[in-house]
Amino acid sequence: MRLPKFEYFEPKEIKEAVGILQDQPLARILAGGTDLLVNMKHRVESPPVIVNIKRIQGLDFIREENGDVRIGALTTLKRIYTDPMIMEKLPGLAESASSVGSYHHQVMGTLAGNICQQNRCKYFNQSRMWRSAKSLCFKAGGEICHVVNKKGICYSSYCGDLAPVFLVMNAKIVLIGKAGPREISMENLFLGNGKDPLNLIPGEMLKEITIPSESVKGVCCYEKLANRESIDFPILGTAFWASVQNREYRVAFTAVDQKPLRGQRIESFLSGNDLTEEILDQACDLADKVAKPVKTSIYSPSYKRKMMGRQFRSAADRATGRSIS
Amino acid sequence: MKRALELKINGDTHDVLVSPNHTLLEVLREKLGLMGTKRGCDLGSCGACTVLIDGEACLSCLILAVDAAGREILTIEGLAEGGDLHPLQRAFVEKGAVQCGFCTPGMILTAEAILGEEKCPTEEVIRKKMAGNLCRCTGYKKIVEAVISVSEEAGREV
Repeated sequence: MRLPKFEYFEPKEIKEAVGILQDQPLARILAGGTDLLVNMKHRVESPPVIVNIKRIQGLDFIREENGDVRIGALTTLKRIYTDPMIMEKLPGLAESASSVGSYHHQVMGTLAGNICQQNRCKYFNQSRMWRSAKSLCFKAGGEICHVVNKKGICYSSYCGDLAPVFLVMNAKIVLIGKAGPREISMENLFLGNGKDPLNLIPGEMLKEITIPSESVKGVCCYEKLANRESIDFPILGTAFWASVQNREYRVAFTAVDQKPLRGQRIESFLSGNDLTEEILDQACDLADKVAKPVKTSIYSPSYKRKMMGRQFRSAADRATGRSIS
Repeated sequence: MKRALELKINGDTHDVLVSPNHTLLEVLREKLGLMGTKRGCDLGSCGACTVLIDGEACLSCLILAVDAAGREILTIEGLAEGGDLHPLQRAFVEKGAVQCGFCTPGMILTAEAILGEEKCPTEEVIRKKMAGNLCRCTGYKKIVEAVISVSEEAGREV
């Protein structure tokens, strides 16, 4: 499968990259390429301009500063899960990075690429021939979302593995654009719009992610359910964070909605409590009310809802040192 | 517009003229005749197109050729030295890890990257890291045995 033709830029500095992105509103950023180039081969994306940011120096780093952990946009997934400090202090993040795709994808894929990946759906992520059997879906440029048979809305799912972990750790994202850097919360990066999932101003790119020190002190676990461990996107992913001392807990899910979701009802129910068997059993019953998944993959929404509770329980048990029930 | 590139492949420098939309896989096979790198799914799912770039196992179907300029690329053709098979190649032959052979270059280069990181990885680590290389013939057992035999050999030499 040939890639469609495009104009190619290889900026050496952030300022240069931002300038190109500003001048070329239809440009797409290339980092690891494991998401974008597949979509381009399927012709679901055909950007006229590609901006390869891999030659920009200084975006591949993992640093600890005053207890906060900062990770650069071009840090590869493999570097994240093999970094000794991440392995020791943020094992949940290491777990999620090592669960992405295959070893090759982890070598090539980057932090920013994983966070900013396109939403997925069984009608969108298909070859051109497969898609030609039906009218184009809304995300691919047509009128109707085939998942729900409605016009003008896209129900594709966000399927990133890293985002739920950053959500439960209250991570901050530094974006950089023409006006300079701006910091937003991870939650505010996602619009919940399947067609255009990211809250980025034209010309903006992700520069780094910061995990605050209070989150680094907690315990985090990530659970993933996938067809095959080797290459697949999550059918469902659940991140759980706990500060047992402060009785504070956070949970987030991926692959159940147009954006990764925090389970706020579960969090407020758990808050201030010890995680006893009884409390966790009751919290599991709340998990399936966090999202209303639709059939964007071959798995039914009811199966996903059931598994949300199971995964939450499994992640909570591991985070609190229990054996998995 | 086409670009003139210098690609460092198997220790040699190749001057090629490529369009930005050409993948490294296309350039290796179609412009340089290095057919050992296989085109399988062409979507990054099967691992048949694996090459080593700066020692790391990468999918050449998902890397633009222009992006590989200036980096050390190793394909299966460059693995053997001085006419002798590389230990991994020899082990694949001796352990019966090759049947149709289509996945073999990708398997061997992924194994080379794994053993480059860790001399004696566990079977679990080998299986996990090679899970992105698909084989439809052997059932993987012989392949894993071949990689383990090379790592054991390396362990004895330490």
